[in-house]
Amino acid sequence: MTDMGSPILEIKGLRTQFLLQEGTLTALDGIDLKIFENESVGIVGETGCGKSMTAFSILRLVPPPGKITAGSIRYKGLELTKLTEDQMRGIRGKDISMIFQDPSTSLDPVFTIGSQLAEVISLHQSTYEEEALRKKVLDVLKLVKIAAPENVIKQYPHELSGGMKQRVMIALALSCNPSLLIADEPTTALDVTIQAQILNLLKDLVRSTGSSMMLITHNLGVVAETCDRICIMYAGRIVEIAATMDLFETPMHPYAKGLLKAFPILGEHKDELNVIRGTVPNLMKPFPGCPFVDRCDASMDRCRTTPPTMVEARPGHFVSCHLYSGGGVPSDAG
Amino acid sequence: MRPRRGLNNLLISWKASGGFKQTVVEILERGRRNGMVVVGFSIIATMIALALLAPILPMADPTPAQGDVDEPLLPPSTRHWFGTDNLGQDVFSRVIWGTRVSLAVASMAICFSLIIGVVLGLTAGYFGGAVDYIIAGTIDLFWTFPAFLLALAFAAALGASLLNVILAISISYWAGFGRLMRGQALSVRERQFIEASRALGAKHSRIMFTHVMPNCLAPLIVWASIGVADAITIESSLSFLGAGTPITTPSWGKMLSLGMPFITEAPWVTTFPGIVLLITILGFNLLGDGLRDVLDPRMKGMRR
Amino acid sequence: MADLISYVIRKLLLAIPVIFLATFIVFLMLYLTPGDPALALVPPRHTPQDVEDVREEYGFNDPIYVQYASFLWRLLHGDLGSSVSAATTGLPVSTMIMQRLPKTLELMAIGLTISYSMGIPLGIYSALRQNSLGDRSIMVFTLITYAMPSFWLGILLMLLFAVYLQWLPISGTIGGLSSIILPAMTLGLGNAALTTRMMRSSMLEVARQDYVTQLRSRGLPEREVIYKHALKNAMLPVITVIGLDIGWFVGGAVVVETVFSWPGIGMLIVDSITKDDFPMVQGCIMVLAVFVILGNLAADILYAFVDPRVRLG
Repeated sequence: MTDMGSPILEIKGLRTQFLLQEGTLTALDGIDLKIFENESVGIVGETGCGKSMTAFSILRLVPPPGKITAGSIRYKGLELTKLTEDQMRGIRGKDISMIFQDPSTSLDPVFTIGSQLAEVISLHQSTYEEEALRKKVLDVLKLVKIAAPENVIKQYPHELSGGMKQRVMIALALSCNPSLLIADEPTTALDVTIQAQILNLLKDLVRSTGSSMMLITHNLGVVAETCDRICIMYAGRIVEIAATMDLFETPMHPYAKGLLKAFPILGEHKDELNVIRGTVPNLMKPFPGCPFVDRCDASMDRCRTTPPTMVEARPGHFVSCHLYSGGGVPSDAG
Repeated sequence: MRPRRGLNNLLISWKASGGFKQTVVEILERGRRNGMVVVGFSIIATMIALALLAPILPMADPTPAQGDVDEPLLPPSTRHWFGTDNLGQDVFSRVIWGTRVSLAVASMAICFSLIIGVVLGLTAGYFGGAVDYIIAGTIDLFWTFPAFLLALAFAAALGASLLNVILAISISYWAGFGRLMRGQALSVRERQFIEASRALGAKHSRIMFTHVMPNCLAPLIVWASIGVADAITIESSLSFLGAGTPITTPSWGKMLSLGMPFITEAPWVTTFPGIVLLITILGFNLLGDGLRDVLDPRMKGMRR
Repeated sequence: MADLISYVIRKLLLAIPVIFLATFIVFLMLYLTPGDPALALVPPRHTPQDVEDVREEYGFNDPIYVQYASFLWRLLHGDLGSSVSAATTGLPVSTMIMQRLPKTLELMAIGLTISYSMGIPLGIYSALRQNSLGDRSIMVFTLITYAMPSFWLGILLMLLFAVYLQWLPISGTIGGLSSIILPAMTLGLGNAALTTRMMRSSMLEVARQDYVTQLRSRGLPEREVIYKHALKNAMLPVITVIGLDIGWFVGGAVVVETVFSWPGIGMLIVDSITKDDFPMVQGCIMVLAVFVILGNLAADILYAFVDPRVRLG
């Protein structure tokens, strides 16, 4: 899975910062990432590591006082950071769309499901005629396997269950055939039983429509099921990118290793769960070296002073760690 | 150095103990930095000081006997800082004495309102069922009915006297506190520690007062402050209409109504009481709004 | 739609006990008056026989619930008693009230219009330009206007427009369009302050919600996000307050009518208080109470019409 043609999304050196009264908070510090056609990439990390901020930065929806302060985001060759707001709006919902975490708060409570779907479809597909619009709305609802869509279009968000609302969100996101679907923790707010259904739905739909997906989560189990490649983030930086099986079999970055070890294996007898000692660093204080240095068992002196660069330690497997940047080829990562 | 340290430690321990004490400390700490709280508090402190000091300040008698009056409708001068009114009385001293009336009436009225509202609201929310249904219905009625109109009706029925005005305002204003406490009681009622207390044999009243009340201090203070502002407005409006304080007591509302016919020739008779009235109401509003921001920004939506 | 209809029915049914409670309280007013209640119901020049007649007619010797029942009976027939003030002795209270009611309604309607047509746009503007000079000025302005009692504001406006500028008439009794402007303006400005602040805080609250960012992520133009979606949601708390606003206007009308000599119910009440015309005061309060309750009912229904989540409650 190394070369899949040119990427549909290419992020280089992305830095997103928040200019607060108390100081500058660096949410993303030089992210490099590529997403190719027809693939699902999982972004994994703990809360606050910058996963959602990556998504918002791509769509240029970073809430003020945040801004993208450096870097480039290329979508099919188009430089997104240089587009006007009008041009960006043409991309949102149509070429790149996003599903938010909590379906209960992501739908406008005073408009029916049908009207919200119709709004997006007529906006991007210039379909205005009522019959045609209604047909398209029903079609997309059937696509996300909602039973009795004719009833649902007349209902309001509060009348639907969590799982159904999330399906509606997926319908909204896929209604205009985007090339890239960003799903930000799509199952975190749902019941465990529904989670599996939604994940499978996402996987099937993405495969069948040929879109790419960027799945953001803190749950390794979720990405193992649905993603082709996994990208691990820590403190606003990407520390490891690899194909799913590669990552699970041979994790390289100490953080990734720690994450995988923390997962208890079914049936294994344990007295204590494995933890990664320490806590996340303060993103307002710049750190010259590797952000993981205080929690790493394999840290060296160099780790405190120089930031590690991303190298392709094995084919298709990239790590940002001094343990590997001696050998290996410094790469054009992704 | 010693006393400061002791005070500091006291505040820290209070803060940790939750409930009343925590709220008080929060007010002291954060309130100091909030502009509205500071300005509001200063205004109120000044007014209270003026009210308390009025009897001993070297001013003219606000209600002099017939023979003692000066010329009516004199413009402001060094002798009469705010001029004289149509009866020759010194406007400045009447305005200062008016502080006593307004503050006393308003604070007592809100005090009573608070007690009625808290007791009824707590009872309704805590016991639920039929008791709640009846009390909540009553609260609703008094809440939607305009307080001023109700106060007018009661003041008219009871007759003009300071006490009656206080009673009238109390009866009209309690619903706000009732709603607040009922809401609080309803939400706390469900919690486990209440059941635990009951299992341990605590009496209802004890539970209500030791568990429910302390968490309500913050919104109560905010409401009380705004309530005093509203009470002053109601009292002055009642006095303006002639249904409030008796004619001899210097009340700002009354002064405005008496000065109205002379407004072109002697605007100072109405303007000065009006400005002081405005500033006082503003002070309590500012304090209330500021405290609301300080103690719980989430309450912002809660107008009235 | 069906849930809306059932909600309306439920609210109508709930309003009935509230109205009963209101009638009971108004009924009790009579007993608050110091001294013999019968004395409140006779004109100033009366004989002891008149007092006895009244006692018979109203059944003061009967138990309370009988008196209340007959009070209700009379109410249902539109009988609010007769005026006892010197000038209008014997005239039925209800007739006099009905004569004056339209004037007050006129005043309130225009006042409400002024209040909302100022308050809502100002609130939206304030929220969209939070912390700008415009926002801060509006906040200061509303703070002062809100703190000013209606009578004071009325006097100020009268001084400015009627006395110094001489653009508008002082008194409302003159009639014609221009005489309603000042009193309506006083009412409207006073309430506009409240409306502005509510609208502002509501818009700010809505702007922070997830679904607003979601809507943007769908590519909707900012104009639609704000004016079609955010605004509709932000209006809800403002609409909830309409009922309370109506109450405020009723109270404010009493004061404003007095300042501008506007011949409505407000002035009637105040005059009656001065003249010790108890039946008139009682009758006015009764009518106004029912008006406020019905006004709140209408506001509740309007709210349920706009916000579908409420219909279940």
